[in-house]
Amino acid sequence: MLKKMLVGIVLGSFLLLPMLAGAQEKYPTKAIELVVPFAAGGSTDVLARLVAKYAPKYFDKPLVVVNKPGGGGITGTEGVVRSKPDGYSLFIGYGSGHDLVTPHFQKMPYDPFKDLLPVCRLSIHSIVMIIRGDAPYKTMKELVEWGKKKPQVTASVSTKAGSVDITFQAVGKATGLKMVTVPFRGGAESVTAIVGGQTDCGGNHPSEVISHIKAKRLIPIAVALENRDPAIPDVPTFKELGYNVVAVGSVKGVAAPKGTPPEVIRYLAERFKKVCDDQEFVKSMKDIGQPVMYQNPQEFGKFLKEGFDQYGKMIKEFNIKLE
Amino acid sequence: MIFSARIRLFKRRKSIEKWDRVTGYILLAVGVITAWSSTSLAMGKMRHPGPGFLPFGLALILIALSIALITKSWKREEQSVPFWPERGWVRPLLGVGIFLLYAVLLPPLGFILTTFFFLIIWMWGIERIRWATILPISIGVTAVLYFIFSYFLEVPLPAGFLSL
Amino acid sequence: MGEFLGMFQGLASGFDIAFTLTNLTFALIGAVLGTMVGILPGLGPSATISLLLPLSFKIGSPVTSIIMMAGIFYGAMYGGSTTSILVNIPGEAASVVTCIDGYQMALKGRAGPALGIAAIGSFIAGTIGVLGLTFVAPPLAEFALKFGPPEYFSLTLFGLLMATLLGGGSILKGLIMVVLGLLLGSVGLDPISGAIRFTWGLHMLQEGIDFVTLAMGMFGVGEIFYNLEKVLKTELVTRKVTHLWPTLKDWADSKWAVIRGSFIGFFIGILPGGGAVISSLVSYAVEKRVSKSPEEFGKGAIQGVAGPESANNAAASASFIPLLTLGIPGNAAIAMIFAALLIQGVQPGPFLITEKPEIFWGVVASMYIGNVMLLILNLPMVGLWVQLLRVPYSILAPIVVLFCCVGVYSIRNTVFDIYVMGIFGVIGYILRKVDLEPGPMILAFVLGPILERAIRQALLISAGSPLIFFTRPISGALMGVLILFIVLQVFFNIRQKKKKMNP
Repeated sequence: MLKKMLVGIVLGSFLLLPMLAGAQEKYPTKAIELVVPFAAGGSTDVLARLVAKYAPKYFDKPLVVVNKPGGGGITGTEGVVRSKPDGYSLFIGYGSGHDLVTPHFQKMPYDPFKDLLPVCRLSIHSIVMIIRGDAPYKTMKELVEWGKKKPQVTASVSTKAGSVDITFQAVGKATGLKMVTVPFRGGAESVTAIVGGQTDCGGNHPSEVISHIKAKRLIPIAVALENRDPAIPDVPTFKELGYNVVAVGSVKGVAAPKGTPPEVIRYLAERFKKVCDDQEFVKSMKDIGQPVMYQNPQEFGKFLKEGFDQYGKMIKEFNIKLE
Repeated sequence: MIFSARIRLFKRRKSIEKWDRVTGYILLAVGVITAWSSTSLAMGKMRHPGPGFLPFGLALILIALSIALITKSWKREEQSVPFWPERGWVRPLLGVGIFLLYAVLLPPLGFILTTFFFLIIWMWGIERIRWATILPISIGVTAVLYFIFSYFLEVPLPAGFLSL
Repeated sequence: MGEFLGMFQGLASGFDIAFTLTNLTFALIGAVLGTMVGILPGLGPSATISLLLPLSFKIGSPVTSIIMMAGIFYGAMYGGSTTSILVNIPGEAASVVTCIDGYQMALKGRAGPALGIAAIGSFIAGTIGVLGLTFVAPPLAEFALKFGPPEYFSLTLFGLLMATLLGGGSILKGLIMVVLGLLLGSVGLDPISGAIRFTWGLHMLQEGIDFVTLAMGMFGVGEIFYNLEKVLKTELVTRKVTHLWPTLKDWADSKWAVIRGSFIGFFIGILPGGGAVISSLVSYAVEKRVSKSPEEFGKGAIQGVAGPESANNAAASASFIPLLTLGIPGNAAIAMIFAALLIQGVQPGPFLITEKPEIFWGVVASMYIGNVMLLILNLPMVGLWVQLLRVPYSILAPIVVLFCCVGVYSIRNTVFDIYVMGIFGVIGYILRKVDLEPGPMILAFVLGPILERAIRQALLISAGSPLIFFTRPISGALMGVLILFIVLQVFFNIRQKKKKMNP
């Protein structure tokens, strides 16, 4: 009996050895997957790929971008939530519509705040209202006047019940216009729609429309942020114009599944900060209309919660419903 | 001129009345079930169509079309043709069966083994090919497929318990 | 005049750039990869481009990486026709129409000429497409912007109904298949409202049914199951291949088809959306109409291969236009290239031509070269692909089934998709038995989501009024033509019936 126990202990300790060895290896030991829960070519995807491009300078292992679109962002994110919390599967785009807006309307298969840990914030994609360059109205005021005489004002938005959609419904209520949001398949398609004049106005992120603004095809007339967006500093906020539509837009950060060890989070946050401080990275981001706005894990977590509550307030105040 | 020649875009096979009628009934059932389950989805209004809008409309059209099919088959003369002449169902059934077996065995046995056995069983069971031909082809094809998909395209194929 | 001069200058500088060793090599790599990917059902150009995106940064130069990716894209259009002709399995949606006459030609031992004319037609169309890209890019792209939801709805409806009306066989059955295809397309998450439709709780179906799974099931596996009914000994087809190359007569027969197809593909390909698919459809319809012997279609008419294959290649070239001039990607593969450009610091848009002319002209020039490369790659290889047909069907059948299985597995790495494909295989088998052709169903399946989205968006814009489809000029014109066709067809049917009654 004693002999058996002894054998068991000896054998058992052999099994422990690899575990001990594993614990010694430093993170990361292989490539890290950066999951973009949206289609390629969108603003989040571009951000991810740009970060991945500069990452090798600062990360010990490469970042690999993977697209998992579907369900307005929920499908891909859920994949990360359910993955092993070992720091090799991260979600980029944390703070988008499906994290801050959708939970107000429908039951989610996971809790964006409890099941995910904030790593850091990378950028904010604000929501800007744009009109065609040749429209019969040139400012927000003129649009409202024009719109009051119409049975409805159409606005092209990227996803139904996304951050843009909700924000525009709030604008409608705040201005007293009958605002009908027309959803398209993502940012690129909705831009095509407004450029083509299919709708009266459109809601997009600055990075999606910056080239059109430069070419004077589109005119930005208002942005839904607390303060002006550094990427488009000449555009007044809705607040300045007298409409209390303030939101955080679509926040783009990185998240890891719940249970990821704190050393991993710390490593990631540090390295991402280094990328955000890289001059070339900042310039590249500026060229495509995405401001670099780094925030460390603690502040980011707080920021997200505030953003979530802010959307909640907006929804309540303007009595926005999902049709 | 243009409409006179009603030519086939797709290959045409003989149209049998009895089969048409059965098909019509089945389609009618599909239409009704679809229409019914669409009602649980929001229809929306004309100015704001919902998810149930199109499926419901399509289901109604399907019902109409299947009724048309059924009535058309009544008008023609009956021809009695067996659905599967001369036990013709044997080989297709075997094919489906082996296919199913492949899908079932793929996760536990892994790609290489399952593919290999699939080829052997199919070629021997259905086509009755000589063993001398079966073996080299099975090995060759398995190897080529593995090379293309696993090595070249880096698709993660099921490894099975032998971790191949 | 000065403008043309500027364009020629630009093009000349473009060729300068395209002819460097690096760029030529990557163009070749792209073309070869694209052809391979087009031949393999299950992996599309979009997936391949995304796999290679990280590689593209290592390359460093934006011109080079786009040259490679463009090569993959139109290479896939060349390759897709190969499996369509040889084994009646479309490599991707744009090759579905090629299956019809292409496979018939193969069954008649004319696979060589079919592949040959597909390659030549693709080359000519591709070149015409790039020419168009060169000279008419900016004004054309502006026109395409006028296409909003009502126009998309009318165009898609037009395409679908044309397919049924001209399909021959029972119109009733064709319509049934279209409706079924549309319904199948609505399975999964509704993109507009997010509601889950017809999935009965199966998580795997949430994204809807994948096209490739459906197509390989109904066309590939289904055909094989159906053919299993007939016993081996009486070989279904004479697999002797008579000529490896298209004859002069073939060429004479198809040359107009190629020209027509190129223009059709070009104009439809500019439109963001289902460019290559719809253009191949329309081209087929047009060829049948203008043909002196329309009864040949469906039995191996070479125009039925030449036209659509030219159309889809021209459409592929044309889909670069909105990207390079307006900065708007028109489909998934182009969106990847769009992202690649952005990451490399290039903003595709109206400023691209002026701020970074080397990229625009470099890519355009390489597309000319790429087309030549693909022609060279594909024509000699025709002999190689035809050798495949020498293999007895009995051995080919399980290999094809396997290919489909692995191909379908590679999409989502789940065995579930294999089961789904199997189910569609059985359905495809039974449908063939009852004279319901899967063709219109698949086309409707692909066009369905576009149709639904368009009709819902259009009704939102029009505040519920269906009149919008008729009051807007482009949409109205399309609907008008459509109604004209239907009326004429009905009228003609009645006349035929009367003729039958009074001989």
